[in-house]
Amino acid sequence: MRESLIMKIHYGTALASVALVAVHILFRLTQGFAESLQYESVIANYKFLPYAGMLEIILILLSIHGFNGLRVILLELKQGTGYEKSVTYGCIAAMALTILYGSRTIFMTSFGMV
Amino acid sequence: MAKVDENKEGVKGMANPTRYGIERFAYLLMRLTGLGLLAYFVAHIYETSNILRGKVGWEEFLQITQTPEGHIILAIVIGMSVFHTVNGVRVMLGHGGIGVGKPTRPDYPYIPQSQNVRHKIAIYSAIVLSALAMMYGLAVMFGE
Repeated sequence: MRESLIMKIHYGTALASVALVAVHILFRLTQGFAESLQYESVIANYKFLPYAGMLEIILILLSIHGFNGLRVILLELKQGTGYEKSVTYGCIAAMALTILYGSRTIFMTSFGMV
Repeated sequence: MAKVDENKEGVKGMANPTRYGIERFAYLLMRLTGLGLLAYFVAHIYETSNILRGKVGWEEFLQITQTPEGHIILAIVIGMSVFHTVNGVRVMLGHGGIGVGKPTRPDYPYIPQSQNVRHKIAIYSAIVLSALAMMYGLAVMFGE
């Protein structure tokens, strides 16, 4: 993939994340920070499907943005064909694992498997 | 004769905020906050997965994170995210050619057009806003 396209994705995921994370934080503040972290409140949040869907989108957006950012930092430090390939595939693998692990929590809680 | 690379200072040179101005400092902070936020993001995903352990497991984990130390770490995360966001918007605008000035003939002291007062104000604003957000976060977390 061209680096210019990757940077457009990087910036797009950043802007979308800012908007959605703001909603996520507002949910914590409108309920009161400590109360919003109570078990029943968290479960109710996950069972509200539009909110759970938003969490899944945030998870995907931030994973793409975060691990691509890590890739960029690592490529700035050192270059070389083998190194660059390892960093790229390593970051893609870490991104996929993070999305899978986070999605597991969201899906299992949303569908009442807790 | 031994090969001497005087200009190669490595990470130490990269981390020196005094020589290359606020732009270099912002560059370094952008990367540090990015790494910090990625670490927090992964930790947050692990933290929230404790909900699958049921009410007891969730409350056990809350006892670890909902402490004064946990609140201070969260306040640092708030500061990092505000700086990363505001400075990130500045960088995006700069990459889009907004606020970087018009090309002119290079004259002494050869200050690049892109490193102008607008970008310096944006960097200082990012630092001030992140400090304010941290204070607000601390007030919310310790106020309850």
